[in-house]
This record gives sequence, structure tokens and C-alpha cells, in this order.
Amino acid sequence: MSAENAVIAAAAPRRSFGRFALKLRVSGVVAFLVILGAIFAVLSPQFLNAQNLSAIVSNAAILSIVAAAQAVVLITRNLDVSVGSIMGFAAYLTADFAAQHQGIGPILILMPMIIGGMLGALNGLLVAYGKVSPLIATLGTMSIYRGLTYLYARGQEVTSNMLPRWMLETVDLRVGGFPVLVILAVVVVAILGAFLRFFPVGRRIYAVGSNPVASAYFGLRTERIVLLAYVICGVLCGLAGFLYAARVGTVTVILASGWELTSLAAAVVGGVSVTGGSGLVAGAALGAVVLATIDNGLVLLRVPEFWRMFIQGSAIVGAATADVIIGAQIRKSLQSRRRGTI
Amino acid sequence: MTVFRRIPQWELLLIVLTLCAAAWSSNLSPYYLSVDQILLSTRQFVYPGILALGLAVVVVLGEIDISLASILAFGAVLFSKCSEVGMAIWLATPLVILACAALGAFNGVLVTRLRLPSLAVTLGTMGAYRGLAFIVGSEYGYTSFDSSYTFIGSTKLFGALPVSFLVFLALAAGVIFLMHKTVFGRRCYAVGNNKEAAWIAGIDVANLKTQAFALGGGLAGIASLVWIGQYGSARGDNADGSILLVVTAVVLGGIDINGGRGSMVGVVLALFLLGTIRNGMGLANMAGPTQTVVLGTLLIIGVLRPLIARGIARLRQQLASSGHAGN
Repeated sequence: MSAENAVIAAAAPRRSFGRFALKLRVSGVVAFLVILGAIFAVLSPQFLNAQNLSAIVSNAAILSIVAAAQAVVLITRNLDVSVGSIMGFAAYLTADFAAQHQGIGPILILMPMIIGGMLGALNGLLVAYGKVSPLIATLGTMSIYRGLTYLYARGQEVTSNMLPRWMLETVDLRVGGFPVLVILAVVVVAILGAFLRFFPVGRRIYAVGSNPVASAYFGLRTERIVLLAYVICGVLCGLAGFLYAARVGTVTVILASGWELTSLAAAVVGGVSVTGGSGLVAGAALGAVVLATIDNGLVLLRVPEFWRMFIQGSAIVGAATADVIIGAQIRKSLQSRRRGTI
Repeated sequence: MTVFRRIPQWELLLIVLTLCAAAWSSNLSPYYLSVDQILLSTRQFVYPGILALGLAVVVVLGEIDISLASILAFGAVLFSKCSEVGMAIWLATPLVILACAALGAFNGVLVTRLRLPSLAVTLGTMGAYRGLAFIVGSEYGYTSFDSSYTFIGSTKLFGALPVSFLVFLALAAGVIFLMHKTVFGRRCYAVGNNKEAAWIAGIDVANLKTQAFALGGGLAGIASLVWIGQYGSARGDNADGSILLVVTAVVLGGIDINGGRGSMVGVVLALFLLGTIRNGMGLANMAGPTQTVVLGTLLIIGVLRPLIARGIARLRQQLASSGHAGN
């Protein structure tokens, strides 16, 4: 449950203020969600309806996978604005392949993940080995990947009757009352979270983001770790693109455009710091739920669509402010401890 | 050799590339080589160009502002409100520019006073300002602008020369002067190179950054005046997605994304290069997606440039040292 990063964990003794503040940050997202839910529940009687709540988590499911993927890259002190284009590219190629090979089974799901992984690897190579600023590199690949999707599609689209039936039916399934998409998202986020929390490679991802120079001196191969983070991000985006394609049925070239900003917003709202080294993938996934709740609540209250932009934007700034304040507190508490030991 | 030293290599390369692109375009389309056509094509590049000038100043300081296109939308909507109440243009223009500069300054205050990363701040305000533009205006666009409002963006002098292009040239000259010939400009480069050293040398870093953000916002306000003239409409989603082109121009122009390096002349030349390529590809009937791929590739080449330059320098050094060894 604890949310500390590698350096904090190494430097701070138990029950330090830093640990407490970070816990506060993640529970802050939960608290925000609860307050938001309470407001909407008071204003709109339909909000707490089981069907509506299930709609919210279903809508959040795919975004939470992308937000978790974005979080892995953010933790290494980089970012990926090509996630939407990776989703579109992987989804379109896979859907087109499936349309031409009707008999293909669930093995198909590997295809978008491999494509996504390769696209992510290209981003990673540019950022880690090319030393290109992550924003610029992925802005470039964002337009390249999207443009290539357009060129491949030649103005066509894959409609739902061209896709294999199992693909469309599986995503709408319910297991024990829960939508299968939600279960899948929870499993993916849990595995990713455990990977980052308990595996040495996962801890290294935090270490690189926390202090790239120190981790290089410590002997970590920072380039490889950053590359790995981008590959993980790409694989998950490919998976998410596939799920999105199966959910909407009709796969167009503009699939998931704009998701780069939504995923960043979800991650930042969920307490993943854009300055790297801190945050949880579970937080990012919760951030996705927060955004979906805002969307849903505003629709129920018949608030015009554009208020959503304003509120989402303000939420990002608010979350970033909270991060900075907590970061300053942690530094202060660490410094006072260091002074205490000398 | 000394002549070549004086002309910075990157700017020279941009000029050569622009000429190559022009030659290639005239090869592709018989309509390319006409003064009317070339002058008219500049119109498409005026509003992203003005945004790029503002962004370049912010990037020199080591920050980034991706909310500029949203500020433009806000400015356009504000102009529509002024036009609606029948305000005179000479009153509306400074008002809108001031309002847009205030939005830019708000970004700057968040970045400097709260010490937030500028990417996160402007990512947030990008959505917030666009939302604000919709809230101030409405979902429906405004198109019945008074003709005095659309003068700058739509008039052509002597039948071919767009006024908006002259406005861009004047602003570009102004920003080049500001960044390369004034104390403000030198301070911007100093801060971009080394914040701490600049602070110790007595520069008010926070204030300077806020001013740069405000300047970017103000320029976006002027860009919105060009926008309403060119497109005759104002709506909250104006210029949505154009920030890619703007960032590309700044990076391709040789401004180091980490701050402190690069010249404004380079940015203007990069805009000409991008404009020539776009225009040529458009005349050659090349589809929008192809153009996007080319744009993205150029952006990446632009940022890989220092790496390539370093590689060449190392190669040259090796050649030189092996030459010495031979002697």
C-alpha cells in the first residue's frame, strides 16, 4: 500500500513525514473521488444507480490501462504524447488483419501488443539513446504514427461486421456481474503495480526517475531502463487500442486521437509526478476513474460539454500544485532528519 | 572560411533547404513559381508563425507553453464579443492583447511562484483556457465580424501582398531585436543557460519568466486578430492541434528545448522552410497525412541535430588527429 519511491525508501527511516505525505497524496485521490461522488449524488438522483456506476467504471477501464502505461514513462521523468497514435496504429492494423483473416482466434491479441511494443521501442530509442527531449520526440512520433495509419488505411475504415464475432462479444461479457473490461483493467494495473513495487527492475524505474545522475553513478543502465519503460507503455497502449477497437466496433484512423492528453491528465490527477520518481500506477488508474466520473456527472447534470475541458484542466493544475507542495514537505523532513543524524 | 564562420551554419542550412524545397516544388507543380501564389501561401503560416515567435522566447528561458493555441482561441472569442457590442477595433485590439497576455502571465505565475513544471501547468491551462473560450463564447461560432475587425487578416495590398504577412514580418523583426539587441533578451539567454548563475548575477528570474510568458500570450492575442480576419469566424476550438506545427518550427529553428541556445532568425527561417514544404506538397496534391508524416520526421531530425553535429565534429577531430599522426 505504501507509495514511496526508491530513494525515499532508502534514505528515510520508517514513519517519516515523507512516507506519510505520499500516502496522503494517493489517499487524496480517493478522497477527491469520494467528495466528487457525494456532490454528484446530491445533485443528481440517477448518479448512485448501480447501472450508472457500472457505466462509469466501464468507461474508465480502457483509459486506466493507458493512464497506467503513461505513468510508467512519467515515473522515469519522461513522457509519451504518442500514446493515442500508438493505440490507433496498433488497433487499425490489427482490425484490418482480422477482417482479412476471419478464422483467427484470440491469439490475435498478441498482434497489437507487439506492434505497440515496437512503436514504444522507437520512442524509447529516441529518448534514451538519441537524448532527444521526450516531449519533442513523442510529438514527432505522434504525428508520424498517426500519419502512417492514414496512409495505410487509404481513407477506408474497418466496420463491425468485418470484425470476427468473438472480438465484439468478448468485450461486452460480464463475469460475476462485473464487465470483463473492468476485470481486465484491474488485473493489468495490479500486475504492473506489483512489477514496479516488488521487482528489482521496477524499483530501478523509480530510481532513474528520482535521480538519473545518482542512479547512473550507482551503476544502473539508465538508458536501458528508460527504453524498457517506453516498451511497456507501447505494449499496454497496443492492448488498450485493441480493446477500444473491439468496444466501439468501427475502427477508423482517428481512433483514440486526443488520448495523449487525457492519459496525461489521468496520471497527473492520480498523483503521478511529471518530475519523475513518484506516483503509483494504481493512482493513475484511479485518476482515470476520476475523469470518467467528472464526465458522467456533468452529462447527468446537463452541463455543456466544454465545462469538462475547463474542469479537467483545472484539476491538472491543482494536482500538480499538490505534488509540488508535498515534494517540498518531503525534502524538508529529509533534511531535518539528516541534520539530526550528524 | 571567415565568411562562413560569420553566418551560423544552421541558419545557412535552413536557407539552403528552403531553396531546395522551392526548387522541388516548382518541379512538382507548374503553378508554384508565381509571385501571387507564393505570397498568398504565406497567409497560412502567419498565425502559427506568430505563436512560434512567442513560444521561442519562452523556450529560450528553458520553459514551454503548449497552451498558446488555446489562448489564441480565447482571443478570437473575445474579439467576437467586442464586435458584437460594436466596440471600435482600435479599442478592442489592445484590450484583447492585454487579456491574452494576462492568461500567459497566469501560466508564468503558476510556474515561477508555485514552482510547478511548465509542461504540467500549460497542459492543464491548455484545456482550461479552451474551456474558458467556449464558456465566454458559446458552442456556436460567431461569423458576423465587422469589416474593420477582419482588415488585418484578410486584406491584400496591391492585389497580392497579404497585410497579415507584413504584420508577421514586423513582429518577427521586433522579437529578433528584443532577443538579440536588448538587455531583456540577453537576460533571457542567461537564465536559459544557467538559472542559478543568472540569479546570483542579479537577474530577477521569476519576474523575467513571467514577462516571457506574458509576451507569448500577448503575441497569441495578435495571432487571434489575424485568425478572425483569415477565417472570418471565432469559436472555442479555433487553432486546435496547431501546437505541433508551432513546436516543430521552434525546434527546427535551432532553439535548444532545454533553453539558452538558438536564434530567433533561425525560427523565422524554419517557418519559411515549413511554409515552402507545406505549400509545395499542397500544390502537388499530396494528402494531409503525408504532410503530417513529413512534419513529424522534420521535427525529429531537428532535435537529433546536436547529436549529428557532435558525431560529425568527432569524426572531423579523428580525421584531423590521424592527419597529424601521418605528418
